[in-house]
Amino acid sequence: MPSILKEAAETAFTLAKGFSVTLRTLFRPTVTENYPDEPVRFEARYRGIHVLHRDENGLEKCVACFLCAAACPVQCIYIEAADNTAETRISASERYASVYNIDYSRCIFCGYCVEACPTDAITHGHGFELATYNIADMVYRKEDLLAQPLKPPRT
Amino acid sequence: MSETQNSVQLTVDGRAIDVPSGTLLIEACKSTGHEVPSFCYYPGLSLQAACRMCLVEIEKTPKLQTACTVVVQPGMIVRTETPQVAEARKNMLEFLLTNHPLDCPVCDKGGECELQDMVFRYGAAESRFVEEKEHQPEQQFSPIVYFDYPRCILCFRCVRVCDEAMDVKALGIGQRGVRTLIIPNRPDGTLECEECGMCIDICPVGALTSHQYRYKTRPWEMNYVGTPCAHCGDGCKTTLNVRNNQILRGNNRDMTGINGEFLCIKGRYAGDFTHHPERLRQPLLRRNGQLQPASWEEALGFVAQHLKEITKRSGPRTVGFLGSNRTTNEENYLLARFARTVVGTNNLDHHRTADFAALAGALHGEPVRYAASGDLSRASAILLVGNDPTHNHPLLAWNIRSAVRQHGAHLYIINSRRIKLRRQARQLVEIPSGKEAAAIEALHGAPTDISAATQQELATLRAALEKESDVIVLFGAEVFGSAVSRLVEFSRQLPGVTRYIALGDYANSRGAADMGLLPDRLPGYASLKDALTRKKWEQVWGAALPSEPGLHAKQMLGGNQLRALYVIGSNPVRTFGLPQTREALGELELLVVHELFLTETARLADVVLPAASAYEKDGTFTNTCGEVQRLKRALDPGAVRTDFEIIRLLSYAWGTPLPLRSSEAAFEEIRQHVRGYRVSQAQLVAGQAVRCAPTSGHAAADTPPGLVFSADDSLFTSGTLGRYSAALNSVSERDLPRSRL
Repeated sequence: MPSILKEAAETAFTLAKGFSVTLRTLFRPTVTENYPDEPVRFEARYRGIHVLHRDENGLEKCVACFLCAAACPVQCIYIEAADNTAETRISASERYASVYNIDYSRCIFCGYCVEACPTDAITHGHGFELATYNIADMVYRKEDLLAQPLKPPRT
Repeated sequence: MSETQNSVQLTVDGRAIDVPSGTLLIEACKSTGHEVPSFCYYPGLSLQAACRMCLVEIEKTPKLQTACTVVVQPGMIVRTETPQVAEARKNMLEFLLTNHPLDCPVCDKGGECELQDMVFRYGAAESRFVEEKEHQPEQQFSPIVYFDYPRCILCFRCVRVCDEAMDVKALGIGQRGVRTLIIPNRPDGTLECEECGMCIDICPVGALTSHQYRYKTRPWEMNYVGTPCAHCGDGCKTTLNVRNNQILRGNNRDMTGINGEFLCIKGRYAGDFTHHPERLRQPLLRRNGQLQPASWEEALGFVAQHLKEITKRSGPRTVGFLGSNRTTNEENYLLARFARTVVGTNNLDHHRTADFAALAGALHGEPVRYAASGDLSRASAILLVGNDPTHNHPLLAWNIRSAVRQHGAHLYIINSRRIKLRRQARQLVEIPSGKEAAAIEALHGAPTDISAATQQELATLRAALEKESDVIVLFGAEVFGSAVSRLVEFSRQLPGVTRYIALGDYANSRGAADMGLLPDRLPGYASLKDALTRKKWEQVWGAALPSEPGLHAKQMLGGNQLRALYVIGSNPVRTFGLPQTREALGELELLVVHELFLTETARLADVVLPAASAYEKDGTFTNTCGEVQRLKRALDPGAVRTDFEIIRLLSYAWGTPLPLRSSEAAFEEIRQHVRGYRVSQAQLVAGQAVRCAPTSGHAAADTPPGLVFSADDSLFTSGTLGRYSAALNSVSERDLPRSRL
């Protein structure tokens, strides 16, 4: 019965071949990340939730030029601009964004806004946990996007 | 175009063209579709040749020439797009940018800046200059105008438009060389001017910007709605810049409309009354002596029930209607129809700001003799009796100034004040106040009670006018009733075709009169006494019309003859100078007011219905010259309703529904039946101003004194609306005596 023998040999070979992959991988370093039990690692250019940056004096870099909104292919950025006054200075320039909303139910994370920004005020951060039960919660306000203020200088 | 003595043939970019001799090369190039860039050149203003952007190549001329100063010559061969020209323009831009901060992300002009466009096209953003840029902080010239010195490229358009076109001369040039800058006229560095915003509009860069638009948004973020201005009677088209249901500014950069690029402060910035915090948003009903919010159903039901009851109990002649100067033609027409057919009263009037009815009557039996606003700027002679166009009719004043400046027109003025247009006038005859009718008699050569010296001046004026031809006669509210007929009788003898403009105050003063908001006239000034006309309108409206003329505004307001008064979009307590008490309006059982704000009259009312403004509805306006324009809705009115809707709903609540369902349907009926309103729908829809010419077909009846008077708004007031405009209230010139401006 050569056909039975041949079949047995082939099965044994296939098993050996298959388990050799398993065995090889068993001794390789682990790549699986234990999110959410452990923090996620990102590549440097990962495009996550935007961050609105501050300059070295802690003032907002955004001057509300609307170029990000103009560049945005899905119109997810909404801005209202306002005038800086001597008493309340928000940005280093004469104007600042009094309202800056990004609608993440629309955003496609293309990064055009980052490219358009003349003051490097907006970049992609590494935030990604956007899931929510309410679509209205997908609109992030300026307060949600703004980088933390610098620590006050030590006296 | 065939070659005539007055045309010049030349070649632009290989294309042979014919243009009238004396044309500037830049305009000739534009006519071929090759736009030659320029900053300092502006059509209609004097030449400056400061920016050097319009350099073009002219064959057999060794160097590039500025197209804005070269007059076309026969056989010229011009090239506008050669590498040499592009290189020259790029280098000129580099010079213009030596001190320009290129702060486009912050600058309000970003996105609509001529300099930005040019730098995009020719590319000179990288500068070879290493010198530090001269910086000075931004200055606020006035509550309207901001000046940013570093952005200025010294084209001096603003200085020239203020001096030549506006005749205000508020901006000047200070310092020399690299430090040259624009300076305002007050020693403390602020402006005292008409605050028209022309300098801001005309500035090719962001050197002059407005406070109202300052750091608000970007040009591509807004909606643009071209609609006639809601303020004075000139009917300028203002393109409202709208974002988030809010009017940020108005302009007319596309130069459509009868006004070209001109707008005054009201057209540009006074659309802000629409979002004033005191704007009425829901109906108010008087309960226990207090005006309290109510629902629309409740308020309209109350009005219909009480109005009907009073009509039944005391007769329709005890119900009066006061219409508005700022509601649309359709709304006025509907009101006339409602009052006359549903209620059955002729007690219908409005604050008449010019005697349009008298003019229509005086022109009875003549071909159409109304002048359009554009005719003024091409006029050869103008006679102005009364009124102060600089304040009351900024566009007509602008057109008169252009006629004088560009075509050497002769302006003659008869006025009781030394109005500003005297600076353009050949002759100003100053007469005592209220003596306009006497002055017209004196023009006829009839004996009058004005002084001999003035009579002598008027005789000189008459002699001068008799040498003119095609005179355009403008007259204000000072001339009314038989004086209008006398003025027409006089000017009819002058050589050529004399044309007329009656100067009414508000956006639709003319429309209110045309649509028959008059106690003795049906729409189109048709006389109520004429049985045939009455029958025609009875057929159109399908109801019997009362034949007795009704009470006029003054009789309605003080006469104790009314039991109910229905006021739409006007404030008679203030306009007619009545004390602010209910008793002053007579023994009224019901006072209903449609208003945007709680005015002096609305405060006394039993029911106040919040109405939509002209920027929140569709319809048509007729300007003081008789040009019909279509309104485009710029804002969502929200909970308020248009006067059209309110009257319609009221007719339903009354039980006699009016069949006109929309303002379009009403306008179609107007087109069919009101004399002179058979205007082209296509032109209207295209946003053009279409001339209408209602002639009454009935001779003028005399107008009693005290009915026709101007509210005499200044540049910075505009009836009720002006009181709620932050822009108009912010300017300091508001409190200055008028003669200062």
